[in-house]
Amino acid sequence: MVNRTTFGISAVQRQSLVISLTAFFTSLLLIALVSVLILISFRGTAYFWPEPIYMVTGTHHDGTTFSVLANVFDEPANEDVTLKYSDTEHPYGFQIQLSREEIDTSLLANESAEIKLLDGRRVLAIPEHIVVPSKPPQTLDKIDAIIEDVAQISAQIEELNTRHLASIHEALSQFDKRDVVADAPARERLVASFKEYQKRVEVLEKTRAEYTLSVSFADGAPFIIPISSIQDVDFVSRLSTFEKWKVVLSEVGVFLSDSPKQANTSGGVFPALFGTILMVFLMTIIVTPFGVLAAIYLSEYAPNTALTTIIRVSVSNMAGVPSIVYGVFGLGFFVYTLGGSIDELLFSETLPAPTMGSPGVFWAALTMAILTLPVVIVATEEGLRRVPEGLKAGSYALGATKIETIVRTVLPIASPGIMTGVILAIARAAGEVAPLMLVGAVKFAPTLPIDGEFPYLHLDRQFMHLGVLIYDGAFHSQTDGKSASMMFAACLLLLVVVFVLNILAVVLRARLRKRYLKG
Amino acid sequence: MLKLFEHNTLNVNDINKDQTAVEVKNLSLWFGNKQVLNDISMRIPRNKITALIGQSGCGKSTLISCFNRLNDLYDGCKYEGEIIIDERNINSRKVNVSRLRTNVGMVFQRPNPFPMSIYENVCYGLKLQGVKIRRHLDDAVEGALKQAALWDEVKDRLFESAHALSGGQQQRLVIARALALKPDILLLDEPTSALDPLTTLFIEELMDALKKQCTIIIVTHNMQQAARVSDYTAFFHQGRLIEYADSDTLFTMPEKKQTEDYITGRYG
Repeated sequence: MVNRTTFGISAVQRQSLVISLTAFFTSLLLIALVSVLILISFRGTAYFWPEPIYMVTGTHHDGTTFSVLANVFDEPANEDVTLKYSDTEHPYGFQIQLSREEIDTSLLANESAEIKLLDGRRVLAIPEHIVVPSKPPQTLDKIDAIIEDVAQISAQIEELNTRHLASIHEALSQFDKRDVVADAPARERLVASFKEYQKRVEVLEKTRAEYTLSVSFADGAPFIIPISSIQDVDFVSRLSTFEKWKVVLSEVGVFLSDSPKQANTSGGVFPALFGTILMVFLMTIIVTPFGVLAAIYLSEYAPNTALTTIIRVSVSNMAGVPSIVYGVFGLGFFVYTLGGSIDELLFSETLPAPTMGSPGVFWAALTMAILTLPVVIVATEEGLRRVPEGLKAGSYALGATKIETIVRTVLPIASPGIMTGVILAIARAAGEVAPLMLVGAVKFAPTLPIDGEFPYLHLDRQFMHLGVLIYDGAFHSQTDGKSASMMFAACLLLLVVVFVLNILAVVLRARLRKRYLKG
Repeated sequence: MLKLFEHNTLNVNDINKDQTAVEVKNLSLWFGNKQVLNDISMRIPRNKITALIGQSGCGKSTLISCFNRLNDLYDGCKYEGEIIIDERNINSRKVNVSRLRTNVGMVFQRPNPFPMSIYENVCYGLKLQGVKIRRHLDDAVEGALKQAALWDEVKDRLFESAHALSGGQQQRLVIARALALKPDILLLDEPTSALDPLTTLFIEELMDALKKQCTIIIVTHNMQQAARVSDYTAFFHQGRLIEYADSDTLFTMPEKKQTEDYITGRYG
């Protein structure tokens, strides 16, 4: 053994020093990863968690007193307490920060409720009673049934509007085009039925307007909310933990299925989730055959020359090109050049309004396909290289041609490698933001790229994307805490999407491996 | 004990055209600048087992790969001379290589079953030829597996992965895969070198049974194996055919000193 007491560091010590250094940096990495996960999950789930409502009274520094119903965010580490409150002046919520000495009392307000409106806004108030037409005021326990009734009336109005009124309107405009005289009998019949339907709508709307919820604020001031604008009423302060989880679940449901409201600060993210998945799906359809065919050529057919090596190196390097460059390329080449030419050839009657010549989901998918192509090519080549030569020889020896050998033997065995590439590509595309904003992703898209209108899949439409939504939310969050938590929730969702895709891929790859490789 | 049909073994020089399965005429082969085979001429008799022996790198594996043109897969492989199978020179450019390979089956040193079911492995070649009718495939699979003496062991698990089989079973599966195409010639490239002695014996018995249907050409490093199973043996050294005779003569009274040194283990 080396004498440990000599100057300097002995070999054994040197080794343990190296081990502890490497372990230290590994643990730093782990801490960074875990804190990202914890932060995102914590802040993300907080968006869904029902906050209890307090009756807060106090005196401002200038001597005026106040009394509000509020969610209280009191973190010992911060000097100030944040209140999100509703009162007569700000029925739909307002956020202030107060120092602790300004607050006199803060009591859990059991009677108060969080009233979520369909447009995404919230009112914190004490519900008093429900007004319904031609009946005495109803008690609060009937609120869910009444909301349901009103929703049915709204559905009737919607149907009258979209089915009947819209088609009559369409027919009338046809008459206008053909210069049918105003007093033609057919026209008069139409106008009459239009008025008839309109009257029905008016009657329904009037009835609907009579359903209201009377509430009061902390100072007793009354406030009236039409039932038709209410999505849900939660008495958050008196919910048990189990009931809170039920609220969380329904909130998650709304988050996943609803559209963003109030400039992407509340409501759901369904269009963004849908847009992300659709774009990734289209991209996968484009990039997989391209990448796999290119990799097959490079690894099975290309002669072993300097040119092939240059191509191979360039492909690997393409993976390192900044994504915004691809975005600019997509905009300049796909959207303007390619899309513009398509417009001139096929949609010339609508010019100068562009059809394909403007950013849209197809161009975004194509751009992302180009961006992720190197990943797929490199992973596929790796997979192809792993196919044992003996198996290829065995296939040739049975009379298979090169292409038959590739299709029947090489590709199945390389499929785990191909899967790996496609998954990496999907994860990359799902999280990319910058290039997408140039080629079709927008903060808010009024329509989905898929709907019931021919041709059902509208590749030319702009779309929403989770990454872009988060980017947008991050800007809002500088002024408003609420949208920050929406952003975190969207982040969490994006993580979940990528995680689920990865798990799927790992499982699929493991199954393919088990099937096609020795084991 | 294995050689019950030995009485009709001929002198190699007396093999006539009708009895010849493969006729090699002045075959030379290069990988790049390196000459691997040097002016080889021989007649390999029909329905016999012919063993090719020699040191590693003497070109014997390369030679049998010429019989199904598998050397075409390697870049920089050139050859001249003729190989006549069924009255056609298979070195000609006009030869349909796929069809040649279905007629000349090959089994490799390491068992290389495809990562598919046993059934799929056996009908791989037939499916390539466009056989789709299930009954025909079933019959062919059963026939080939019976010929390869594997049927009884796998008949209950035809649709399980071929990789679940033992090494010896895998090698017989690979033989069955080649036999399913009903080849006239079966090339065995050190088929038992990765197997244990008992399995080796089993495969040797199988070869003896198979020579009724096809000509077998086997490359082996195992001198006892060559002596046991083959009717004819050719000894190669550095790309040249040194001596070619019926196995009894070659192993008991070799003409050339080199051959004697090799088979008695003095070098190699």
